[in-house]
Amino acid sequence: MRGFLDNLGLAFGTLKGNPLRSLLTLLGIVIGAATVVGMMALVEGFRISVNKDLEGLGAGAFQVQKWPATFGHVDRAKYAKRPDLTREQGEALRSLPHVGHVSIEAYHNGRPERVATRDRATKPNIQIVGGLPDYQYANAITVADGRFFTDTDIAVGGRVAVVGADVADVLFPGESAVGKEIRIRSSPFTVVGVAERRGSTLGGSQDGWVVIPLDPFYQVTGKVTNHNIAIQATTPDDFNKAQDEVIARLRGLRGLRGIQENNFDIYSNETLTGTFNQFAAVVAAATFAVTLLALVVGGIGVMNIMLVSVAERTREIGVRMALGARRRRILSQFIIEAVTLSLLGGLLGVLLGAGGAVMAREVWAIPSSVPAWAVLLSLLSASGAGVVFGIYPAIRASRLDPVEAMRTE
Amino acid sequence: MTEAPLISVENLTRHYRVGEEEVRALDGVSFDVMRGEWVAVVGQSGSGKSTLMNLIGALDTATGGSYRINGKDVEHLSDDQLADLRNNEIGFVFQTFQLLSRSTALANVELPLVYRGLPRKERKEKAVQALESVGLANRMHHKPNELSGGQRQRVAIARALVGNPSLLLADEPTGNLDSATGEEIIRLFGELHKRGHTIMLVTHEPRLAARCPRAIRLSDGKVVADGPGAEVASLGAPPVQSPQAGAAA
Repeated sequence: MRGFLDNLGLAFGTLKGNPLRSLLTLLGIVIGAATVVGMMALVEGFRISVNKDLEGLGAGAFQVQKWPATFGHVDRAKYAKRPDLTREQGEALRSLPHVGHVSIEAYHNGRPERVATRDRATKPNIQIVGGLPDYQYANAITVADGRFFTDTDIAVGGRVAVVGADVADVLFPGESAVGKEIRIRSSPFTVVGVAERRGSTLGGSQDGWVVIPLDPFYQVTGKVTNHNIAIQATTPDDFNKAQDEVIARLRGLRGLRGIQENNFDIYSNETLTGTFNQFAAVVAAATFAVTLLALVVGGIGVMNIMLVSVAERTREIGVRMALGARRRRILSQFIIEAVTLSLLGGLLGVLLGAGGAVMAREVWAIPSSVPAWAVLLSLLSASGAGVVFGIYPAIRASRLDPVEAMRTE
Repeated sequence: MTEAPLISVENLTRHYRVGEEEVRALDGVSFDVMRGEWVAVVGQSGSGKSTLMNLIGALDTATGGSYRINGKDVEHLSDDQLADLRNNEIGFVFQTFQLLSRSTALANVELPLVYRGLPRKERKEKAVQALESVGLANRMHHKPNELSGGQRQRVAIARALVGNPSLLLADEPTGNLDSATGEEIIRLFGELHKRGHTIMLVTHEPRLAARCPRAIRLSDGKVVADGPGAEVASLGAPPVQSPQAGAAA
């Protein structure tokens, strides 16, 4: 242990002797560690914020969709052949005993639009959604000003709209949007409500949307026949019953029998969280691959600098041996030096990565949270690289002949 | 004599293979050194002095013969045991000082004790004592490049003394010093001899050997003379010797 501390002191002495060279050598390891910590902080941040958003949907909620909600590769051809989820199928679910709210929602290719008044216009980044009064409950929307549209609005075919906070801010700065007219693709709508601000997730605002009733939505965007259906069970405990009922009813309506596969997908918070975690695992694996590469590059740098260090200090090694240093002592001196060097790089990288994560959160409002295991992993793998790549130079040092070594200049 | 010699060298040989040729750097050398002796080893360059010094210092192992120091047989020791022997029994003083340039005088002197595994505090105490004993108490925190040649060699001598070894082994200790400074260093060795240290001093300068109570002369890897320093030194001297010629040899 005492020998270890002495060697540690030696290692720091060497590093201080060549601060710039040490820093440049460590760049690979710094980048590797910073990548792990930074990426993992982002993934962790996303995970936390996604979980928070899903909680907003409430317990006992689930979605029926034609398209699967997965990350990564989707076999589009397979899902495109599925029949659309129609409004009628959605309406038919309302009568099920354990189904509470049914929100039938239509999107127009998911493409954002420009919304305007006579004087102002938003950027073309507003999501237009067709919905029914239940939309409010299925999407946990709180109306801050005015009201959500009602069954009466639907019945009379009212051209009304509920807008997200961003839309109200841009089109009606400093005044209430309620009662004012907005235009979507030149069709006029009356704003009846403004939603409470939700803030942003994954770096994007969650307040850039307009919901209008389904019928005017069809008129404005052209006929849309596929819908997402969000369902709330009567109580959270009835979640499974509601889901079973919905599946049975939809299979009947869509003419599926026997062992035929469902031609629709059902998602709940749990399945979405699971999907997201799957995605996070993929990102983690990719990060590890990058990190491994950076560590190998960094490790080669460490090996290089250690070989230089051994060559430069050949005489010193000879003197140490003459004064009674055992070969293993010389070996451990250089390995500890390599590990100290790479651990320092790892620490620097962790600071850099964590700093980047904090900056992402504070400056760009990108959610991030540095997980302790990522820090630990970075430091461990940096030291590992130090051992692996420091061992060869250290062996070279320990095998020197003291007489020859002392003769070198 | 009842007392066993500190060093006992018997028929020691060291052969090197240089290409096809075998070079007999040491060719059957025998002598004893008693505790407290001050012995010079003299000879022309190529006579085998350095080879003998490396063998005595346990930096190299012999091809044949035997070497005992302080009761230990050196031929059959492992690398680790040789390192420990150097650490405990030998105090080296080199021509080129061989100080670690990035360490202070104090840290340099502590080094042998580091490898002996002494605690920091004890190490420092002993190193300070050793530096005081060579008159460098006020230069402890200087690095070698902030010291004069004579001061550097004193640091090296302090380093050799700090572990209280059985033998001080000096290889041309005045070779890189001007004559006045060299004289100081030789006087320091004289003092150490008086204090009871056993000293072997390797040199090519007959004048230096003449100052030692005993000298061993090597030539072509063999002992050609072993006796009082003044006699051995004059024996091998070139017929006409001026101080300049001696210094240039």
